[in-house]
Amino acid sequence: MVACIQVSKLRKRYGTTVAVGELSLEVESGEVFGLLGPNGAGKSTTLYMLAGLVAPSSGKITIFGKESRKNFLEIAARTGVLVEQPTFYNYLTARQNLLLSTRLAAREVTVDRALDLVGLLEAGDKKVGKLSAGMRQRLGLAQAILTEPELLLLDEPANALDPEATQDVLRLLHRLAEETKVTVVLASHMLHEVELLCDRVAILNEGRLVACEPVDALLSYNQSHVEVLLDAPEAAAKRLEEQNWVESVRVWPGKVEVKLLEPNAHQLTTFLVGAGYRIAGIIPRRRTLKDYFLKVINS
Amino acid sequence: MIARVLNAYMVELSKASRQALTYIGPVLVVLAVLCMPLVRRVARDGTSDYAFIAYATPMALNLLGLLVLLAYCASQVAAELGSGTIRMVLVRPLRRHEFLLAKLLLGMTYAVLLTFSAAATSWATVLAFGDLGGVSYGGEVIYTSGAMLTTYLVAAGLSLLPLFAAVAYATMISTFTRSTGAAVGAAVGIWLLVDIVKYPLRIAPLVFSTYIEAPWQVFANRCGGFEASWSPDALYGAATSAAWSTVLVSLAMLALARRNLNA
Repeated sequence: MVACIQVSKLRKRYGTTVAVGELSLEVESGEVFGLLGPNGAGKSTTLYMLAGLVAPSSGKITIFGKESRKNFLEIAARTGVLVEQPTFYNYLTARQNLLLSTRLAAREVTVDRALDLVGLLEAGDKKVGKLSAGMRQRLGLAQAILTEPELLLLDEPANALDPEATQDVLRLLHRLAEETKVTVVLASHMLHEVELLCDRVAILNEGRLVACEPVDALLSYNQSHVEVLLDAPEAAAKRLEEQNWVESVRVWPGKVEVKLLEPNAHQLTTFLVGAGYRIAGIIPRRRTLKDYFLKVINS
Repeated sequence: MIARVLNAYMVELSKASRQALTYIGPVLVVLAVLCMPLVRRVARDGTSDYAFIAYATPMALNLLGLLVLLAYCASQVAAELGSGTIRMVLVRPLRRHEFLLAKLLLGMTYAVLLTFSAAATSWATVLAFGDLGGVSYGGEVIYTSGAMLTTYLVAAGLSLLPLFAAVAYATMISTFTRSTGAAVGAAVGIWLLVDIVKYPLRIAPLVFSTYIEAPWQVFANRCGGFEASWSPDALYGAATSAAWSTVLVSLAMLALARRNLNA
């Protein structure tokens, strides 16, 4: 895989506040890469530095193998950007806004295709001032994908969207990533959307990179957190709570949820069978990104 | 770079043409000129009415027109910074100084539009209600109507240079703030302050706003049958305006280049 973005010792300071400190990472071509972090972690600042909207205090950004500041025009021509809470000229229609954007990009593209992809074709002739926040967000996405970019930089793409529209946008991004092999860098604090979309995530906290892992590895099945379907959950829970290798037990109708100190499900099943319980099934709990995120941030 | 600036300028023109605010300035200037016959007589009485034109054009342009121009240009970049639309523009292959040059070109176009509005209305008023023969003294024609028109066009052309410097000044102020109100207030306020203190401080010859009337003064003198030359005041004004424009545009570029365009 070829690196689409290489960031080396990137730093951004606002006075004495360090927004991003010594950040180094690589994003491969065709990858959907998530930047996660709590508010103020430096995700948006990092994204804006990649987009050329914020100048780094120090460090180096290379995009498409070229130094970003010196080759801004070439990189911008191949990149689509969605900023957080995108704003448009309210006195123009959605279509007119996109037409101006294509003119600035000096590209001959059909605006209707982008409007159609984000589900705004019918609202294309409405003044932007009359669009809802969700529709403006989708227009922002239309503007980002308008010129069929090779790199998409998206800041909170599902911001202000209702659950249905969020699903639509996630599906669209997934489809674009699959079909066009566009490289996507997505900054978000919505763990669910990152989990659904991204191949790899970087977790930022207080401007520093605290983890950078493939999502699949993070979400692998967890042998120390299991659900056991059995005939007498309350009695079994009481017996399990007495064991020193069990961290915690929760009772649910028809099952118990057990957290083990060591990932040893075999010990658990041997114990329960030996105690005479009839086990209908054991389901390892899948980790969520939220679990991992909270663990990393708290540590 | 030129192609990108022209492209951005066309985008700016397209945006401006769809804003009602753009048309308010020229309409106000036209109305101001149309009110001038109340204070300066125009009549078909056989005497030429160039004096009305010499009075009406600079009055409408350099008082009301200048305020409108300052307000219009001061709001340009500040409005984009305040609303965040500048981010939509600058993620496209367009450098910041190119965006600024497009805004300056828009401001200059607006200055030309205001000048044209004042000029066309002044001449139309005299054509409709007065006389436009040559300027004569003691029965002898000193300046023919053709010569007066030429003088007027040169005066209008030279008067645009201080106006372009005013565009650069207001645009520079505009890059310093995200608030349109603050930008307009600062642009007009500082302009008035400089106008008040430039004579006591004896810096008036160095300030371009001093020469804003100079080209029109030549036209006004010729209307009265006096010989008047463009040199030194009108030409010195042109040079001062060009020098200030260069300084102000450079400062504006520096200010915009240093801006962080995050939310």
